[in-house]
Amino acid sequence: MKKLVYESPSIQKMNTGLMNKFGTRSEYEPVKQIDGVSVHTMMAQYGSPLFVLSERTIRNNYQNAVRAFSTRYPKVQFAWSYKTNYLNSVCRIFHQEGSWAEVVSGFEYRKALGNGVPGNKIIFNGPEKTNEELEMAANNGSLIHIDHFDELFQLIELSDKLKKKPRVAIRVNMDTGVYPMWDRFGFNYENGQALNALTKIVESGKMELTGLHCHIGTFMLTTNAYATAVKKLGDLAWKCKTQLNTPIQYIDLGGGFPSSNTLRGSFLPGTDSVPSVDEFAEAITTNLLGLGFGTEELPLLVLESGRVLIDDAGYLLSTVLANKRLSDGRRATILDAGVNLLFTSFWYDHKISPAQDFTQHTEDMALYGPLCMNIDVVRQSINLPLLNRGDKVVVHKVGAYNMTQWMQFIQMRPNVVLIDEQGKTHIIRESETLQYIEQPEKVPEHLQIINV
Amino acid sequence: MLFFSNNKFFASVVFLTTFFNPYTGLAGFIASLVAVLVAYFIGFSREQVKSGLYTYSAVLVGLGMGTFYEFSAGFWILLALAAVLSVLLSAAFIAKLGKSNLPALSLAFIFTLWVVILSSREFAVIGLTQRNIYWLNEMYATGGTDLIRLVQWFENLSLPDVVTGYLRSLSAILFQSNIAAGIVLTIALLFFSRIALTLMIAGYAIAIVFIQLMDGYAGSVNYYNLGTNFMLVSVALGGFYIIPSVRSFFWSLITVPISYILVIALWKITYTWGLPVFSLPFCITVILFLYVLQLRRTGGKMVLTPIQYYSPEENLYRYSNNKERVLNSFYYYHLSLPFMGEWTVSQGYNGSITHKGDWGKALDFVIADKEKKTYQGSGSLPEQFYCYNKPVLSPADGIVEEIIDYVDDNPVGENNVLQNWGNTIVIKHAEGLYSKLSHLKKGSFKVAKGAYIKKGDIVAACGNSGRSPEPHLHFQVQATPYFDSKTIAYPLAYFLQHEGGNTALKTYTVPQESDTISNIVPNMQLQQAFEFPPGFILKVTAQGYKEEEWEVMVSAFNETYFYCRQQHAYAYFINNGTMFYFTNYFGNHRSLLYHFYKAAYKVVLSTDKKITITDTYPQNIFGRHPLKWIQDLLAPFYLFMKMKYTSHVKQDDNMMGGGTIVLESRADQQLGNKLQQKMTARVVITNGKLQAFRVELSNKQIEAICGN
Repeated sequence: MKKLVYESPSIQKMNTGLMNKFGTRSEYEPVKQIDGVSVHTMMAQYGSPLFVLSERTIRNNYQNAVRAFSTRYPKVQFAWSYKTNYLNSVCRIFHQEGSWAEVVSGFEYRKALGNGVPGNKIIFNGPEKTNEELEMAANNGSLIHIDHFDELFQLIELSDKLKKKPRVAIRVNMDTGVYPMWDRFGFNYENGQALNALTKIVESGKMELTGLHCHIGTFMLTTNAYATAVKKLGDLAWKCKTQLNTPIQYIDLGGGFPSSNTLRGSFLPGTDSVPSVDEFAEAITTNLLGLGFGTEELPLLVLESGRVLIDDAGYLLSTVLANKRLSDGRRATILDAGVNLLFTSFWYDHKISPAQDFTQHTEDMALYGPLCMNIDVVRQSINLPLLNRGDKVVVHKVGAYNMTQWMQFIQMRPNVVLIDEQGKTHIIRESETLQYIEQPEKVPEHLQIINV
Repeated sequence: MLFFSNNKFFASVVFLTTFFNPYTGLAGFIASLVAVLVAYFIGFSREQVKSGLYTYSAVLVGLGMGTFYEFSAGFWILLALAAVLSVLLSAAFIAKLGKSNLPALSLAFIFTLWVVILSSREFAVIGLTQRNIYWLNEMYATGGTDLIRLVQWFENLSLPDVVTGYLRSLSAILFQSNIAAGIVLTIALLFFSRIALTLMIAGYAIAIVFIQLMDGYAGSVNYYNLGTNFMLVSVALGGFYIIPSVRSFFWSLITVPISYILVIALWKITYTWGLPVFSLPFCITVILFLYVLQLRRTGGKMVLTPIQYYSPEENLYRYSNNKERVLNSFYYYHLSLPFMGEWTVSQGYNGSITHKGDWGKALDFVIADKEKKTYQGSGSLPEQFYCYNKPVLSPADGIVEEIIDYVDDNPVGENNVLQNWGNTIVIKHAEGLYSKLSHLKKGSFKVAKGAYIKKGDIVAACGNSGRSPEPHLHFQVQATPYFDSKTIAYPLAYFLQHEGGNTALKTYTVPQESDTISNIVPNMQLQQAFEFPPGFILKVTAQGYKEEEWEVMVSAFNETYFYCRQQHAYAYFINNGTMFYFTNYFGNHRSLLYHFYKAAYKVVLSTDKKITITDTYPQNIFGRHPLKWIQDLLAPFYLFMKMKYTSHVKQDDNMMGGGTIVLESRADQQLGNKLQQKMTARVVITNGKLQAFRVELSNKQIEAICGN
């Protein structure tokens, strides 16, 4: 007979609420495998904590998104949002699938070039672009999305030195009926700033106006906002064609499609409340086709989706360090991965599953990370089976932003493993070492020798 | 024209050969001179006269008269009159027969010479000559002893009877009867057309065998009849008016004997008036057969030469090359797929579910994911199916003929057999060509009955109405405008087939069940660069070459072509919006236009997917290749030499226009199974314009710059 798991006894408050013939059943099922690969084996091999990415899920997500749009609109192009996850292997999966690159800094721009993306398939967004970076982007024929008038003037000044006419678009912000309105990036539509900028670009004669860009927000929970954005950008596109006599070639609607993660404080879980890519595609393409452009002159639709394509392909595997009781009697479980690795736990109530069998008993508990910092809370309150030291857990849907916004604080960043479509695992980023962290440090002469 | 050729070199050899019998040749020459002058005088255009159609009978008349009659003043007057008469008769015959697409052949010559023979008896000044009996004297008069010796040497060659008979017969076409002329003509013919030569030999052999078999009276068959009536019949029907093939060669087995019995039958009639039959049996046989072949409903396997290039080889190579490349483009209305993105054929032609009998030539489309699933979620609601509510497009330009838009969607799994087709649109593309799209979503129609719609316009959305247990799109082509019309098999012009990450271009085929397919998304810049409207002039320069100006023109048959003024070269092309391809090239092989023809032989105007397209050049691209003559001899039966063409997009700066697109192409020679690279080329397009092209051959490299 198998040895039963020991669970320390606890007293639970009676649950009020509707009578339920299933009792206090946990919704959890253990997640022992990812794409057929054992969680425990991976952790034994690559250590804990451990990020795991599923290539199959990434490709499926991408293909589903492309299908949703390309079966509704004839000219669609995705550009992988580098800031969402710029591990080279991840980017290359998207580029293999046909995605361009969308970058927001010189650092990301060079990363994209390094991944072999041709210059003319890189979209350069963001409020900061140095002279040197703008020159490089212009000479490579990249699509430069201008964020503010100062950047516009900067480009006009630079343009005499450039080998090629820069190919530019402007970023437009607008009221799409959602709160808060994102108006800090780009030129405003309602007050005429956007048209003003477009006119300046065309009048200067020093740039090639190629498109219009907007990014109305992130984790958008309504498709209507996109419908509004398309109409407003469409209006600008018509004005470019009729007033400025410079038809634009593409409309870039940015990203912002939500993943199925649950936002903190939302009433329903993300899987139930978030619109699917298909619903966004329907709203966007219907309105695009309704703008009145002829079949031949339809602008290319560019999408910079990041989160929705990668979030559910990422897992964070972690080990329970300890259990304790808080002063109010609540249970607290300490994991070896905290907000240093799981930046998104500030926004999401991440779904967390145990990676091994457990008993029927569950308890509300707080999940803390290993940092010696009060903010290191993975879940404020979560109902989980009782976990013991050494148990493994799987944090779901962590593919977006965590592997770019992670912090090297107290701890070093762990291995990142990719499971390919054949079920083979590959380290795509090795865990950091002390040497790696200290490599750029310089110690002045007088501090070389210390005597404690 | 005499030997079905418009080759200048061959013509001059024929011309010189006639002077083997100098007086005959002189008469022929004078007659043709008179005929040309008369044709101009009547007012035929320079082009018409230059073609020789109205004057070649006069040459034959001149040769004939020079052979039969003593020279005198009266002879020359009669010769001139005969030449005039032959021009008039030629024009009349050509006009009348031409309406039925039939050649006038030598009818004008025959009638003219009959008139001369019958009438000359009444003129005392004209008498028959005995020159032909003492032809050596004549020869001596022109060429002296050397020529005599040469000719005598040929005559005394100990050749088998069969060979001498053949050579004499060949020369008899030009009213001669000597071996030397036969040899010269054979050599010239070998240079001009290997196929024609084999057909000549075949015609001769068949006639000889037939005579032997029938144990016929050999007296009725002279060299003249062997030459004109049998050998020429074999060439005309075996390889000139009909594309040479195994069948056309086989045909000679029938046409030559028929011509033979016609010779005897007609001779029985004409000899009572003292007239030879000349080539009348040849004319009758050829015209009769061609006329009957035209009565067939379909082309059949014996193909009448569609465009006459005056060479059996050219006819064969251009026909076999263009059969699929060009004819499909004209024969079929260009239909594209009625949807956007990649869909999968869930039921093909004569499918097992509902595509049966008269309604068998239909296609059902769905959208499937990598796991071949057509829905997400549980699949219990139409909305969960990928294809549901997706835009449905018009496959081609047309007029909306009928619309049904009142049938509700079925729940998944149920059929509405009463309203079988569900919401449906019938689009009329041409007389007798309709397409039908069915099971659409109620209320989704974007067009109304009677509207003119263009290819790719959204007409409605995919639904689940009618006999549709789960959402899908039904597409069929039909000849009548009704909802329940029978289907007809009809190919789609161009589409892409996707399989395991690879994409292949399909042309003029019907997709098969379970194929995943999509439309070709054209590249605006490529479309713009290869758009050559009539009157467009492209200036092309390259180092080591004279500057060339290519002007786009349109022929009487509405074919577009580049004409290079400097090199007198023509390159015919087709641009149908999806594909640009050359169909024919005529002229100098050292022109820049020729290099461009080879480099951009076929270009798909899309950079969307990295498609590699393949094609084959016509065999005449081999030019003076040492094996080319052997290929020519075998061509009607087997093509062992092939020149393969492949091209793909090498670089695509920008799918949105602007930037540079580089097309890369290559030519590989295939001999049996051996491949050898013969050319690599690049065509550069910048900002929607053809900017430059580079051709690398084994021995040289051409860098050409284009501008206008």
